[in-house]
Amino acid sequence: MLAPEKCIGCRTCEIVCSFNKIKAFNPKTARISVLMYDEAAISVPMMCLQCDDPACMKVCPTGAITKGEDGTVTIEEKKCIGCKLCVSACPLGNITISPVENTVVKCDLCKGDPQCAQFCPSGAIEFKEAAPSTIRRKKDIAERFMELFGEVSE
Amino acid sequence: MFGWAGTILRVNLSEGTIQKEALNRNDAKLYLGGRGLATKIMIDEVDPQVDPLSPENKLIFMTGPLTGTMAASPGRYMVISKAPLTGTIGCANSGGHFGPELKFAGYDGIIFEGKAEKPVYLWINDDEVELRSAEHLWGKDVFETTDQVLEETAEDARVACIGPAGEKGVLFATVMNDKNRAAGRTGMGAVMGSKNLKAIVVRGTKSVEVADPEKFKEVSTDARRKLKEHPVTGEGLPTYGTGVLVNILNEMGALPTRNWRDGGIFEKAEDISGEALTEKYLVRNKGCFGCSIGCGRLTKIPEGKFKSFGEGPEYEAEWSYGAACGVGDLAAICKANFLCNELGLDPITMGATIACAMEMYEKGILTKEEVGRELNFGDADAIVELTRMTGLREGFGDELALGSYRLAEKYGHPELSMSVKKQEMPAYDARGVQGMGLSYATSNRGGCHVRGYMTSVEVLGIPEKLDPLVTDEKAGWLKIFQDLTAVVDSTGICLFTTFAIGLPEVANMLRAAVGWTTSDEEILQIGERIWNLERLFNLRAGFTKADDTLPPRLMEEPLPSGPAKGKVNELEVMLKEYYQVRGWNEEGVPTEEKMAELSLR
Amino acid sequence: MKVKFFAGIRDCAGVKEDTVQFSGTVGELLSYLSNKYGDAFRKAVLTGDQVSDRVIILVNGRNIVHLAGIDTVLGEEDEVSIFPVVAGG
Repeated sequence: MLAPEKCIGCRTCEIVCSFNKIKAFNPKTARISVLMYDEAAISVPMMCLQCDDPACMKVCPTGAITKGEDGTVTIEEKKCIGCKLCVSACPLGNITISPVENTVVKCDLCKGDPQCAQFCPSGAIEFKEAAPSTIRRKKDIAERFMELFGEVSE
Repeated sequence: MFGWAGTILRVNLSEGTIQKEALNRNDAKLYLGGRGLATKIMIDEVDPQVDPLSPENKLIFMTGPLTGTMAASPGRYMVISKAPLTGTIGCANSGGHFGPELKFAGYDGIIFEGKAEKPVYLWINDDEVELRSAEHLWGKDVFETTDQVLEETAEDARVACIGPAGEKGVLFATVMNDKNRAAGRTGMGAVMGSKNLKAIVVRGTKSVEVADPEKFKEVSTDARRKLKEHPVTGEGLPTYGTGVLVNILNEMGALPTRNWRDGGIFEKAEDISGEALTEKYLVRNKGCFGCSIGCGRLTKIPEGKFKSFGEGPEYEAEWSYGAACGVGDLAAICKANFLCNELGLDPITMGATIACAMEMYEKGILTKEEVGRELNFGDADAIVELTRMTGLREGFGDELALGSYRLAEKYGHPELSMSVKKQEMPAYDARGVQGMGLSYATSNRGGCHVRGYMTSVEVLGIPEKLDPLVTDEKAGWLKIFQDLTAVVDSTGICLFTTFAIGLPEVANMLRAAVGWTTSDEEILQIGERIWNLERLFNLRAGFTKADDTLPPRLMEEPLPSGPAKGKVNELEVMLKEYYQVRGWNEEGVPTEEKMAELSLR
Repeated sequence: MKVKFFAGIRDCAGVKEDTVQFSGTVGELLSYLSNKYGDAFRKAVLTGDQVSDRVIILVNGRNIVHLAGIDTVLGEEDEVSIFPVVAGG
């Protein structure tokens, strides 16, 4: 569950994600990244949303990407040939190439204990079943965009 | 290397050369990084008597071993040089994302030497480093510059730059990074401008490694938990920002009002407080890299003549433009603060300098003709307009650009400048908070609150509760605060963490990061070493005991009201004790024994 | 007697300030105010019958720590300010 309206843009998620994966600190290896839109006063944590019908899985020529019973979409390292088709296929841009590991990487929810959610200081990233009441959040964000565009059109 | 990146960039702007040097490991051990290590480089390579705005001065950007890790609030770096405002060692700290990115590119810091013939900016893309022309950027503000260089380099890069104020040599110009974060005090932006260096753009894809990853995670998690649980770092700062201090200082009668002339109670304090900012204009809060506190404010004035959008203001700016100028219009204060970010100005010195000019005007020392307008206390339009004029050095702004001391001195009234070593003091009246007076007088970068934040013990009761109206115990506490702050500033974490954590937690993170077995006491001694090194720089620059003083107003004019009514600052008593506690002689010079003890000989 | 509330304490009280007819000690005042404003307020200012270490209480601008603490005696003319422990800079 991501709540951009709570995100303070600190990128703690990036730094703990990279640490969990490579035991060093490097946001470029993180499976999550925070995009900042200062003008709209919004920052958005972006990570694999574990799609129901994953485009990455469909295009993978070696079957390295699978969706498990718990819903998590994972890349099997041994089968991956590094063709990067999945990177192109993901409509959300949530598969990236890690400059350290030199492979394609994506969020695997830390095998059920996502570090980003554990360390997020503002509650913008929470790990729970998605049964969201989203209308309040939609409104919050819509209002910010409205303010922004309102200014532009003035 | 663990903690440190291991490489320092040396850029000679006169020659246009760029060298990569190995970090001096011995110095890193003695001075850590950030403030300490850069001061060591300054004292080794630069004559302390150098003209701060000459090519012979150097400008150093330096991170610490914890910058860019998961330590508590690890987003800091420092800018160090000889300061044009004070003539002391100059040194300013900033957060945001720039410092960590420099580490990710593989560098602990950058030393700039000389002066470029024409405006340039430095583009660091991991191992590839080049100087590029910035002629098309000269004259642009911080926001325009940042957007433009990102377009020319990489959109995921980070930028530190100067605005027009730095280009034009405003003596309190800032270096700004990530648009709204400032290496704010002592005029580091003016040094950058004097070197024709407009910006540094950095992008990094490398890793910062630590010696003992598991231990490091454990101690960092512990520190983060303490930050979350503490009422200051877990609640007060996130909810209200630093401006939450306005009301408490005012209730204690220590919020300096109208250039410190009218005591420490400002009748419109409530209107300029953090509570008011949160209620009226706060859009949301914002955190620097890896920070769980998130004290930054994104603020919007939705309508009216001060309609604007930006970051801040912080407590100090709410005070400098507010109580110090007698202004209760929070929208105007926000607008003036945003202008400081855009033009690259230190809002503490800017507001306090306008306050000084207001008193000079009301006394008839400055005339309407000289200023170009009326300039009475309480004029909300004036704080905005004079900020703009100072950043661009237009009209009377050209005089304000030298800070309050030089302004007041020019007209024969230096006593009206509320400054120490020519830098304006911040928002705590030292007559009502005695230890802050000693802190101002002895700060190695002139009037400043973040070298030894005695407010913590005297006002907030953290970690102990000292009576603000007495001088007892203040010297000893100040030494500990100064030494610990020097450690914190040199590791690359934020000073605000120390409301919730102390030496043991900082030392734990440092040890796990760099692989030391050093004791807490030895780590605190590094802070003492740094403090003494800065003192040596200043002594060699020509400062003496006579400069460890306060404006006469604080020592001669008693507070007229409030709980500290009738009090002046009893500096002399505290200063004598302080020199003793420091192991300095009666002239404030470190003794031979002290120098030997600290390996400074 | 005038009592002023700041930051989070203000949210608990729901008002910025209050004028109360009261004489007694700081401790008694806190109990009185807690009865008036409810549990959230009580939780914020008191730990058992002691002043919470998460608040700062000033009487005429002086921290009660440097007066007689919870036993500081208040008069009609006194002004009391209640803050959560805050900081900044």
